[in-house]
Amino acid sequence: MSVIALPRPEGVPAERAGWLALLARRKVALAGVVTVAGMVVVGALAPVIAGDPDHMDVAARLTAPGRAHWFGTDDVGRDVFSRVVYGARLSLLVGAAVVALSFAIGLVCGLVAGYYRRLDNVVMRVMDGLMAFPAIVLAIGLMAALGPSVTNVIVAIAIVYSPRVARVVRGSVLVIRETPYVEAARALGATDAALIARHVLPNCLSPVVVQGSFVFAAAVLTEAALSFLGVGVPPYVPSWGVILAEGRLYIQQAPWLVLYPGVAIMLTILGLNLFGDGLRDALDPKVRGLAGDRQRA
Amino acid sequence: MKTYVARRLLALVPVALVVATVAFVLIHLAPGDPASVIAGPDASADEVERLQQQLGLDAPLPVQLVRWYGRLLQGDLGQSIFLRKPVTEAIVDRLEPTLLLTVFAVVIAVVIGVPAGVLSARYHNTATDQAFMVLALLGVSIPNFLLGLIFVLVFSVWLGWFPVAGYSPLEYGWLKTLRSLVLPAFALGLVQSALIARIARSAMLDVLREQYITTGRSKGLGERALVYKHALKNAMIPTVTIVGISFAVLVSGAVVVETVFNIPGLGRLVISAVLRRDYPVIQGVVLAIAGVYMLINLAIDLSYLLFDPRVRYR
Repeated sequence: MSVIALPRPEGVPAERAGWLALLARRKVALAGVVTVAGMVVVGALAPVIAGDPDHMDVAARLTAPGRAHWFGTDDVGRDVFSRVVYGARLSLLVGAAVVALSFAIGLVCGLVAGYYRRLDNVVMRVMDGLMAFPAIVLAIGLMAALGPSVTNVIVAIAIVYSPRVARVVRGSVLVIRETPYVEAARALGATDAALIARHVLPNCLSPVVVQGSFVFAAAVLTEAALSFLGVGVPPYVPSWGVILAEGRLYIQQAPWLVLYPGVAIMLTILGLNLFGDGLRDALDPKVRGLAGDRQRA
Repeated sequence: MKTYVARRLLALVPVALVVATVAFVLIHLAPGDPASVIAGPDASADEVERLQQQLGLDAPLPVQLVRWYGRLLQGDLGQSIFLRKPVTEAIVDRLEPTLLLTVFAVVIAVVIGVPAGVLSARYHNTATDQAFMVLALLGVSIPNFLLGLIFVLVFSVWLGWFPVAGYSPLEYGWLKTLRSLVLPAFALGLVQSALIARIARSAMLDVLREQYITTGRSKGLGERALVYKHALKNAMIPTVTIVGISFAVLVSGAVVVETVFNIPGLGRLVISAVLRRDYPVIQGVVLAIAGVYMLINLAIDLSYLLFDPRVRYR
């Protein structure tokens, strides 16, 4: 369950200008973009391409994949294809919402911690404390407190990942704060709020954007894991994790219940990882080797 | 060196304080009065009140928090509501499978991941390298519980080599235990080995570009000595970090994979506690795992003393 920013592969041209073009030039990254875009289309068009994911046809329970049901049916005769398609919708919704929310929290905390020295220690110790929990364990604990619902899954996962965003933001802010252009703006009498909004925030965004695709992937994974464990979205919501949990019980008679949602999860995560790797190479030419990992010491 | 150790230990204090507080907050985050949430919708007012007293929820919040810290310092995690025994006891009862599974998975991850990464770096940009890296990319993209399910399907259902699920405790013989843990450990370990391979490879590539490697090569050292004697030692620093992190990651991964294989470990304990609203157990397990996580991170930091002499003089 580990989705972290990996070191930059070798032999990648490092240029700042035209990162979109750079992204496109890397075929692998492009494959990632296409996969993710494909998932988005499937998710967005779910009502068009799939039938009712909740419609039960008990007479056709545990039917193998075929003409009538492309991905087969589950133990109460629901169409697995429809459920997987709606699952894509849920996964992408959770992923996007978690990125938005964890970025909102992480950006505010990171900017405050990086910009105001006095608050740095307090904010970052709290973030360290939250990061001392393994992601999935903290998410389980939060879900236990909040109760099962899609909103709560989003909130719980966002709380888990926002410290990671905050850390990256704070790191860049610490550097940007000392640059001559910030000093110049301050000398001209810019207020703190204006300085942060106009000069600090825009310049610390690019490393954070790279984190975005990894947080997205982590959120999709964590939602699937939580729902698989039965502590995520309520059981009536078609989620890949829920389908897998039900499929586990019928794995001998109906392996398709596990295979199709499984392939969907893998493709999504693979696409996001490829996209993220490409984005990092395009946006962050300065990242070299394992600099980030060594700083941990 | 002493100051380094002391600094690391001191840095643990505020983190531990936040961790303890977060675990405390968990029970109060639930909407409404925690006692009535725990008791469930069918409980009478009497029962709720008794629960309130039992859990000390009738005291003001700050008092509760101070009492919570005090109890934690004494190693007291409270009483399980459902199991009717101390939480620490419940955790100890479930520790064996989780611990064995984690260790087994770490061994698999390291034994596969490190050599794969080193070989990839040595044969950089060859077919070997690319094959390993494609596998590693697939590996980091598959969630461990999914890999576990696929293993069950292939090796248990189709081939019939391993039991579909279940755990055989050590007291019935370690061979049986090992057999019951092979699939879950591989499901966990293989995913992590992909990550280790990627880190080990890029660490190795970094080192192989250093000047002393060029020097070694120019004075006629064999490629084998260069890679395995001079480069490997220095590439170990980031690799040890990631191995340590893997241990921490795999403890929590075990929590998920246990469900796939019906292994009665900490993961099953916390999940069933969530479904029964047994908050003391949830708090206890979450805290225990976070504690282990913190200690592992401390151990990683201290291990630099062995691998990186520069740290000793800091």
